[in-house]
Amino acid sequence: MSDTLIQIRNLSVDFQTDDGTVNAVKRISFDIPRGKTVGLVGESGSGKSVTSLAIMRLIPNPPGKITSGEIILEGQNLLNLTEAQMRGVRGNKISMIFQEPMTSLNPVFTVGDQIAETLILHQKLSNQKALEKTLDLLTQVGIPNPQERIKSYPHELSGGQRQRVMIAMAIACEPDLLIADEPTTALDVTIQKQILDLLADLQKKYGMSILFITHDLGVIADIADDVVVMYRGDIVEQGTTQQLFKAPKHPYTKGLLACRPSLDKNPRRLPVVSDFMTTEGKERTDNVESLKQRKETRAVSDQQSVLLQIQNVKKHFPLKKGFFGGVKDWVKAVDDVTLTVRRGRTLGLVGESGCGKTTLGRTILRLIEPTEGKIMYGDTDITGLDREGMRAMRRKMQIIFQDPYASLNPRMTIGAALMEPMIIHNLGSGREERQEMAGELMKKVGLDRAMLNRYPHEFSGGQRQRICIARALAVKPEFIICDESVSALDVSIQAQILNLLLDLQEEMDLTYVFISHDLAVVKFISDEVAVMYNGKVVEMNDAIGIYENPQHDYTKKLLSAIPKGL
Amino acid sequence: MEKSEKGLSLWIDAVRRLRRNHVAVVCFVVIVFYLGLAALCAAGLVFPDHAVTNKDAAYLPPSGDYWFGTDIFGRDVLARAAHGTITSLIVGFFGSALAVVIGTFLGAIAGYFGGLIDELIVWFYTTVDTIPFILLIVSFSFVMGAGLYTMCLALGLTSWVGHYRILRSEFMKHRERDYVQGATALGAGHPRRIFLHILPNTFHLVLINFSLGFVSAVKAEVILSYLGLGVEPGTPSWGMMISDAKLELARGIWWSGTAATLFMFFMVLAFTLFNDALRDALDPKLKSR
Repeated sequence: MSDTLIQIRNLSVDFQTDDGTVNAVKRISFDIPRGKTVGLVGESGSGKSVTSLAIMRLIPNPPGKITSGEIILEGQNLLNLTEAQMRGVRGNKISMIFQEPMTSLNPVFTVGDQIAETLILHQKLSNQKALEKTLDLLTQVGIPNPQERIKSYPHELSGGQRQRVMIAMAIACEPDLLIADEPTTALDVTIQKQILDLLADLQKKYGMSILFITHDLGVIADIADDVVVMYRGDIVEQGTTQQLFKAPKHPYTKGLLACRPSLDKNPRRLPVVSDFMTTEGKERTDNVESLKQRKETRAVSDQQSVLLQIQNVKKHFPLKKGFFGGVKDWVKAVDDVTLTVRRGRTLGLVGESGCGKTTLGRTILRLIEPTEGKIMYGDTDITGLDREGMRAMRRKMQIIFQDPYASLNPRMTIGAALMEPMIIHNLGSGREERQEMAGELMKKVGLDRAMLNRYPHEFSGGQRQRICIARALAVKPEFIICDESVSALDVSIQAQILNLLLDLQEEMDLTYVFISHDLAVVKFISDEVAVMYNGKVVEMNDAIGIYENPQHDYTKKLLSAIPKGL
Repeated sequence: MEKSEKGLSLWIDAVRRLRRNHVAVVCFVVIVFYLGLAALCAAGLVFPDHAVTNKDAAYLPPSGDYWFGTDIFGRDVLARAAHGTITSLIVGFFGSALAVVIGTFLGAIAGYFGGLIDELIVWFYTTVDTIPFILLIVSFSFVMGAGLYTMCLALGLTSWVGHYRILRSEFMKHRERDYVQGATALGAGHPRRIFLHILPNTFHLVLINFSLGFVSAVKAEVILSYLGLGVEPGTPSWGMMISDAKLELARGIWWSGTAATLFMFFMVLAFTLFNDALRDALDPKLKSR
């Protein structure tokens, strides 16, 4: 038996779109060795998911088509198999897990039924045998109380448990190859670590190969033996994980590695991929001042004027109502939080999903009304403001959301979107002047003013996030809440946006509250960091201090779960 | 250099998709033909003699002079059917427009504000919805007298419920979207959020619903006129022609009913197929982001 499981040779995939043919994958070749993990890394649109779908022969046709190449599994070219033969391969020899375990599971069947179905279908087991095997699988993937959980529906499980169920389904037939397409991207870091450990264990036990697709280089360094880097449908570099992380050759790989904020490197500004693509990897000289120095010159002290003070804020949502309308149970999304935000500084708010950080952010802006507590902005308690007072206050406080695709009105031109806040707050004395101001804003965020008449769908994700920033700046605010504002972006774009936020802060003396689940990003951008857990702030310190000297158990756990890279 | 580029709005994009769909283009031509025919008839430029009776020419079979023959009063069936287009278009347009306006308005405020307002409107619509539609129209024609505009009013006031439900759920969905929250954070008030932000994003549904309502109103007119609840006697209407044909058919006079049926068939078919194309063209889910 050779030690190569799958050979991919000259694979090309084309998609027909309204604007012509797109070569999603361009004549790529790589091998997946038996029993090893190959990491397939790339940013959105690099063709990494298309490659994995091509291996499963699941490319939707039309519009997609595999135009050339071979995918050889044990001497057999998968591209020459009939659809019926291919069905025997899927799930049996190659199986797949996806990013979003909720949508990949059928909500109307119990998880037990779904796993058993695979076994009955592929291994022709009897119902009784399938049930026994299902229980065994659930135990193997570490689901607590498998006897009971087998009867649960997907919505009754947590995100991590659902991904475990997906893995149980995928390994049910002991496949030779498991394709994992961003399996941990939707999960919290602590859960991510558990799932990665589980995959490594199962690989050892079954000797299967894993093709691990991700945009996250930290995760790749933890799990993969070999790495393939894709960029715009091409493989730009491949090699062992050691080689690639220690001595990347291609400028794109170098850029990708450098632009990711990390916990142990402290650049002042983040390098961006284009620096490497144009100057062939020469380090920029304006980047010598370290993050530590930047933080020291901006040290937070008690003398600094306080812009925002959150005092004992609570937000409780009713969970159960009694028969006569009385509330019986509450979800304490934000539970007695007290925080101070200083003028011209950035407060980072970290925590895992459901910890209440987003609710707190929206409560500060009164997009959600607080249940209790005071929010002092300067000398005004904004919880007591009436509608008119609040409208005036909104000029000073802005928000930038996570998803730049959802936060712009798709039926409004960029120009109209930028001028709307000026109209609401009576800035500028007419269309001409407002248009001029909108043009200035575009320039400020690094976009061309000639694009003002375009619509949001004509822009990329990074450009849209720039537009969202420009829109927030349109009212000349003092204070901006960034709610996971870079989480939906590729790392190279993320670096650009983080740099832009820093530049704007310096230029306009802005104050930020930066909400994120990504501890490295928060460390990079924040002066102070507050860690939230179960609706409470469990620890608060300056940005360097909290990472070098964590006090609370939860903070320690969070920090140790982050993939370290090499 | 400073000259700004023209943006590609989703509406322009939808028109582009429609134009690429051959069925849609053919249907659109048919619809324009009906509109043109109605306009010419109303202006008296074609078939000016549709109401002139001629006892001697009663029940003439189709011939070179009368393509669809003549009716009991010796009137040209083709002319009657052509003038029936006016009735159908009026009922279709006003009946559907009224329903869409009521449905959109109530759906928007119920979905947007929620709470007590929502509950009140839901209570109101369930009440309206429990009354059988024919019964309501019968009572309408008793109170206001049968006629073209009574029928429009009755159709509009009874058929807004389905449209209301769709708009209500759309508004509930959009209310929570980031771009609406963002507008709130910018200080936009309720009217701005409802009419400038959410409505344009649900307007494709308004358009599709109007078009669907149009077809049902045209069919409803025919059915109601057949039942004797429709337009005043003497007004040219496809429903009246089909109603008359039920006695004539037994005597072998098939042309009157056939003409009305064909006219209605092509109009309803064109609108229905155009609706499908419209829905595909406007559906933002089809659009890659």
